[in-house]
Amino acid sequence: MRKSMARGLGAGLAAVLALSLAACSGSGSTSGNDSGVSGNGTYDGPKVDITFWHGWTGGAAPTLVPQLIDKFNAEHKNIAVKAVPQEWADIAAKLPLAIKAGKGPDVAVLHGDDLATYAAQNLLLKSDAIVKSLGYTAEDFPPGVFDKGNYKGAQYAVPWSVTPLGLYVNKEVLAKASLSDIPTDKASYEAALEALKDAGVKGEWVDGYVFTGTFEFQSLLWQFGGDLYNKDVTEATFNSEAGVKALSWMRGLIDQGYSPANVAQDGNIKALLASDTAFNWNGVWQTTNTAFDGLEWAAAPVPQIGDEKAVWSSSTHWVFPANKGQDKNKTAAAATFVKWMNDNSAGWAETGELPGANTVRDDPALVQKYPNLKPFIEELPYAHYETVSPGINEANALVTTAINEALTGKKSPKAALDDAKAKADRILEQNRAKYGD
Amino acid sequence: MTEFATAVAASPRRASAGGSGRRSGDRVRRRRRTLVAYLFLAPFLVLFVGFVLAPAVYGLWISFTDWSPFRDVQHFVGLRNYTDLFSSDSTTSGDFWSSMRATAIFVVASVPFLVVVPLLVAVLLNQKIRAASTFRTVFFAPYVLGVAVVGLIWGYVLDTQSGVLNHLLHTIGISSDVPWTVDVPWVWVSLVGVTVWWTSGLNTVIFLAGLKGINSELYEAAALDGAGAVRSFFNVTLPGLRPVMLFITTTTVLASANMFGQSYLLTAGGPGNETRTAIMYIADQGLSQNNMAPAAAMSYLLFAFLAVVSVVNFRLQRERVQKGGVR
Repeated sequence: MRKSMARGLGAGLAAVLALSLAACSGSGSTSGNDSGVSGNGTYDGPKVDITFWHGWTGGAAPTLVPQLIDKFNAEHKNIAVKAVPQEWADIAAKLPLAIKAGKGPDVAVLHGDDLATYAAQNLLLKSDAIVKSLGYTAEDFPPGVFDKGNYKGAQYAVPWSVTPLGLYVNKEVLAKASLSDIPTDKASYEAALEALKDAGVKGEWVDGYVFTGTFEFQSLLWQFGGDLYNKDVTEATFNSEAGVKALSWMRGLIDQGYSPANVAQDGNIKALLASDTAFNWNGVWQTTNTAFDGLEWAAAPVPQIGDEKAVWSSSTHWVFPANKGQDKNKTAAAATFVKWMNDNSAGWAETGELPGANTVRDDPALVQKYPNLKPFIEELPYAHYETVSPGINEANALVTTAINEALTGKKSPKAALDDAKAKADRILEQNRAKYGD
Repeated sequence: MTEFATAVAASPRRASAGGSGRRSGDRVRRRRRTLVAYLFLAPFLVLFVGFVLAPAVYGLWISFTDWSPFRDVQHFVGLRNYTDLFSSDSTTSGDFWSSMRATAIFVVASVPFLVVVPLLVAVLLNQKIRAASTFRTVFFAPYVLGVAVVGLIWGYVLDTQSGVLNHLLHTIGISSDVPWTVDVPWVWVSLVGVTVWWTSGLNTVIFLAGLKGINSELYEAAALDGAGAVRSFFNVTLPGLRPVMLFITTTTVLASANMFGQSYLLTAGGPGNETRTAIMYIADQGLSQNNMAPAAAMSYLLFAFLAVVSVVNFRLQRERVQKGGVR
């Protein structure tokens, strides 16, 4: 009895050791090569099971995705898709190592700002041939989105959805200042804020956190003609005159009494829902927020404060992981799946994201069914997306810190942006060394 | 691997075989007892080695390399990751030390409350009062909540403009909106307050157990000598709690130094990076930014700091325990 127990323990210990040893040794990968997959959206090879990783765990997605996949599987006798939903953060932590170990999925969805990071590490298949075989070109998607999957001259991704920022308006509050028209430019927007102030309402609450403050700043930066980084992403340029103008305008909202100081994270959307404020710059995903039910509200394109129209948007993309020993048939089947999903993505609007495929999104039936999405779709011709550069999120985080410092009065807008730029430049340099440029 | 397994499996027999020789039976028995003890410890030992010791050693190795999860070969770089933390032209040193500063502020601000408040609550709960066990449950209850729940609840309570707390302050005549989760020094007040509310229950229960262990005759003797409640608290209760106190201060310092969720959820490290703790920065660098090697070096530096603090704490308190024993 005792002996067998000891043996069991010994074996267990050995297993643990073996496991940790296995984790230590990195494994090679056959990545970077072109997949060599071709076809025209149809797959006629042997029956394959393909796995699909995605991070859609909230909202309408958990019921929608299985429905789509069941339908796809029913229509394709030789392909069985198995979806593995998990939190985005878990995907970020697990996917690179899984691909390296040859245990990653055959197809996955990633955010636009991660694509270059994965591509630089040879974790994704170069997909020019796949994209070509599916018949996709940049013109099939909103301007600028397709190129976000392009890294060093190769295409690594197919767009799936876009999520621009918009202006959310509480019409009940607007009525307090006897206003009914939603402002569209600087003059009308500031006039509305002034009228609201006279009515005792702080019209737009600015915060120094990612989901509203950062995206509003980036929209304004582009509106004033600036950009986050230079063309080859070797230098941060968000502290340009345009950047200072953008952040000073946001800071000005507080100084002129249009916004309270020290708004906490999410404080502004809560205030809009509680009818304490009239305007909130927020993402299209808020259209599915059930707290809007029973409220007199509207969404509109963000007003043009700067010299040109521009708005922040993010995007999600299909990618084909370069698993060690990836089966070409599986990748081909995955390509068929991607094409089918894009063609059948009309229902995706249910989740508060805009389908990337123009044919689907431009179908009048979509706006008819989801009228709240109309202003967001109107913004797409002038929307700006993520920066394509490996490891860029670390530099992007500094922008939020600068906004936070300026809005809480720790630094002037210019000083905050200059400090962030100096640090971002070093991060960019470090990234070039880290990801081998 | 099988060789290794059989070696372990065979060892008990070998030990007993050795004992059947010239050695006295007493010795054999003691040996066997030790062996049995190790056998019972083994499951924990396996987990400890597998999930604490091995990763820790592996982490030490990572900290000496330019480790990247995406490269096949890692290069040994000696102490560079460590020296980088002390040189002002690396990208990590400034942020790391400001995160260490934030951690230090939180430890210094929170530990006294996390020790004193539970101690007082425990003393009160130790009285023969009605519904004592109900109160005990009430004070312990927040501890069972996850940090995500705590963060969410307090996010609503502490919101600058629409929070419950500021609303209450308005009703008693304080009209300014206190930026509880947005600006210094209020962020520290909030983080310490939330942590005290959340984790005091654990220390309270441990103190209570310690109080139950103090001989009640000592209190009677003190009362006979004319000591009042305050006097007997300082001269009987506190000396009686010294070993417990050592345990509590040590674990509380470590827990506070490892604070992560509260500032991650409530303040997002803000304003600026004012409340970004060392663990928050290390996790971000290591797990989000793929700077695993510098992050490992930071972890070891933090570990060294905490080890020193713990040893100093141990020394100081043990001396007092011994002195108390002599007296």
